[in-house]
Amino acid sequence: MVDLSVSAPGLDMSNPLMLASGIQGANAASLHRVAASGAGGLVSKSIGPLPREMYPGPVCVEAATNVVLNAMGLPNPGVDVFAEMIESETFSKPLLVSIFGGNSEEFAAVAGRLVDAGAKSLELNLSCPHAKPGSRALIIGQQPELIEEVVGAVADAVNVPLYAKLTPNTTTITDEAGAAVSAGASGLSLINTVSALEVDPYVGRPIIGNLMCGLSGPAVRPIAQRKLAEVSLAMRRDEINTVPILGMGGITSGLDVARFIMLGATAVQVGTALVDKDVAAFEEILTELESMMTETGYANLAQMRGAALDAMEGIN
Amino acid sequence: MSLPRASPRHLERRLDIDALAISCADRLESYLDEEGKSLIPVPLPLLSVEHEAEGVVTLWVDVPRSMAISYTPGQYYMCWNPYDAEGGMKRRDYNSEKPYSVGDIKVDIDRAKMGFTVKDLGRQSGELTRMARGDWLALRGPFGTTFPTPTAGDRLLLISGGIGSTPMHMAAKDARNRLGEEVEIIAVMGFKNAGEAHYIERMEQVCDQLFITTDDGSLGTEGFPTAVLPELLATDPMAIASNSTESGTTRLYTCGPEPMMKVVLQMAADAGIESYAAMERYLPCSMAVCGLCMVGDRLTCVEGPVMDGEWLLKQDDFGAAHAH
Repeated sequence: MVDLSVSAPGLDMSNPLMLASGIQGANAASLHRVAASGAGGLVSKSIGPLPREMYPGPVCVEAATNVVLNAMGLPNPGVDVFAEMIESETFSKPLLVSIFGGNSEEFAAVAGRLVDAGAKSLELNLSCPHAKPGSRALIIGQQPELIEEVVGAVADAVNVPLYAKLTPNTTTITDEAGAAVSAGASGLSLINTVSALEVDPYVGRPIIGNLMCGLSGPAVRPIAQRKLAEVSLAMRRDEINTVPILGMGGITSGLDVARFIMLGATAVQVGTALVDKDVAAFEEILTELESMMTETGYANLAQMRGAALDAMEGIN
Repeated sequence: MSLPRASPRHLERRLDIDALAISCADRLESYLDEEGKSLIPVPLPLLSVEHEAEGVVTLWVDVPRSMAISYTPGQYYMCWNPYDAEGGMKRRDYNSEKPYSVGDIKVDIDRAKMGFTVKDLGRQSGELTRMARGDWLALRGPFGTTFPTPTAGDRLLLISGGIGSTPMHMAAKDARNRLGEEVEIIAVMGFKNAGEAHYIERMEQVCDQLFITTDDGSLGTEGFPTAVLPELLATDPMAIASNSTESGTTRLYTCGPEPMMKVVLQMAADAGIESYAAMERYLPCSMAVCGLCMVGDRLTCVEGPVMDGEWLLKQDDFGAAHAH
């Protein structure tokens, strides 16, 4: 019998699979729907200070096999509506509420409102532009000093576990990871989508309504694994304090979950796999993970965790 | 610097639209996955724009023959006009991708055409109604659930309101193509007034009986489609034995405004008839990603648009009017 349970700050889960932020999860009905599936935990769509509409479509396309592009534009009902919702709803799985804001004040205000309403843990989506004039070219998550400011402000405002979600679109992800942890993040989530673009040569324009987009799906999995390993190794070298990591990026199978766990992830998030299989993806992935662990003799996730890092010790 | 205008209407006038249409249909075929679905929007030049009624047009495109043959009624395509009506690309005027079910299909020996019938209900659909031959219409799909396929001896009651006519026409045409005279098809089409009435000739060709209602009485019976439905349900000889295999099954399909569909489905339930509704909700992604198209605990994009009538009647959020 394999034990798949996971315990991380704010997240006691029967298995390591969480719904990734941005897939469904913007309202009670859709969170309940995912909670009823095989997922061990939920992450909401990113909630901001005010309601936001979706970008014009196409908002999500599969440009080639396993190459999924999207630009939704952080559509969400706004913190007031979402806070009222979590006040009145009880979910059968732990819910990590993803939040965003244009600056540290907005982040802290959104976090405060949600924690007052009962949010038990937060994921900070740092992949949005900073609202400060002149700094829009870079997103918050690409600037370690802004990460520190935002994570620090939220940590001052609320007393719940905070997971900082990192972008892969950066030179040295250990800088951003270190900034988040030193500012008070209890854990890290990585990676967000890889910045991307696709053009249709017949119409001569990008095929996503917003023009610029993010790449997800199996195409980004090796990138996510590399970033995860870099952060895990920095933690082993004590360059960054060790905190739990929620790994994500193109996970579609039980073997993929094992890969992330072996690179140091405490749990994983699944998003794009739902494009093909909807919430049935969770059960399928779990079954495969369980049989792989049985075959290879792992009794629990702790025994697997970090196994693939040993071979990389000493690599910077 | 602004992006160039690339709608073929605004390129060289000597472009051979028919040849371009065929090569674009071939290109679309190359993107179809094992389920016969394209997951990226593939632009096709419009072959023609057919006037149907006031503010209602049908946009015809060349599609791969395999795609036309395998289409089942109820399925929808995400349709996208990548340019505004002037062929420009002003960012604030971007058109979004919207779900449309197919209104009509023409299959020839070596090529096929699909028609999407669009009603001017606002800026986005208005832009589509103002398109012309040669403009690009990108298709992604088909997605979604379909109406049950009838078998010999079955009877179909098709109830539409407004532009809900299009999936009802495909359901009727598909049943007639499959079963010839071995299926009985009775349709009720409701419109606001005679001016917006459309698809009547198309429906006459494939239905045994057709009833028209208009809100103002300017065509057919005055009132909603629900005005003539009780009589049809009461005279239905198979209503009592609706599950008998000897006499076939009677099923009711409906598409139109939710308040109308709710009454129609309730009437069907009261008469003991199986019913299905083609739902329309705000549906931006079609891929179970955004989660904004939910009815009850189901996603309209992948668990719809065709949903079971009895199930719908139990959902608190079914039956109100929705903006398009």
